[in-house]
Amino acid sequence: MGDKPIWEQIGSSFVQHYYQLFDTDRTHLGSIYIDASCLTWEGQQCQGKAAIVEKLSSLPFQKIQHSITSQDHQPTPDSCILSMVVGQLKADDDQVLGFHQTFLLKSFQGAWVCTNEVFRLALHNV
Amino acid sequence: MAETPMWEQVGTSFVQLYYQRFDTSRVELSALYTDASCLSWEGQQFQGKTAIMEKLMSLPFQKIQHSITSQDHQPTPDNCILSMVVGQLKVDNDPVMGFHQLFILKNISDNWVCTNDIFRLALYNFA
Repeated sequence: MGDKPIWEQIGSSFVQHYYQLFDTDRTHLGSIYIDASCLTWEGQQCQGKAAIVEKLSSLPFQKIQHSITSQDHQPTPDSCILSMVVGQLKADDDQVLGFHQTFLLKSFQGAWVCTNEVFRLALHNV
Repeated sequence: MAETPMWEQVGTSFVQLYYQRFDTSRVELSALYTDASCLSWEGQQFQGKTAIMEKLMSLPFQKIQHSITSQDHQPTPDNCILSMVVGQLKVDNDPVMGFHQLFILKNISDNWVCTNDIFRLALYNFA
């Protein structure tokens, strides 16, 4: 029984931490981003820690709960970690929706930060 | 009217080419990967072009058609491109299913290749 590869350990810890913060107090997500970070939220681009935290803090719901269905982690050629999450979320009293989120993690000054993030709800042109 | 950023142009072209090849001639996907590429296909990991192509060529369907609902592209700090696709696919006579796919593209000798590829069907643990 082998140990989990390091990128899986880091990726899983990050994902757990991210959703825990998101669901309890999203204003605290600032520490995971840097000024070079980019977020694309449902097609809208935000650049840099301040703009990202502003976007996430201003999302129009009171309560949110994420439930992770699957997560995949891979090392990239430039020593970053790529993480993809598929799951479901419930905001306020709305119906449960599927979502898809991607993170690129980079080691920066001794900590793993998120340099790239993309979020989409799993809604299709049926 | 601003031009589309380079990473969007490259990402969009790659995505179009990828699904066109996937749907008509999967064997031609080989040119998009290198020996350093990694693929996670529904949780199963494959390392390197040969193993990746073996997996993709052995997928158990005759016909497949992908339809892209959304695609997002971003530049990464190391001059790569991150592309995330949400869409639907139809295999043989099966019902249409949602899928999610993610690519990291890197410029190697003037060609954009895929170093990381993650694919998942949009199936959830219904609450």
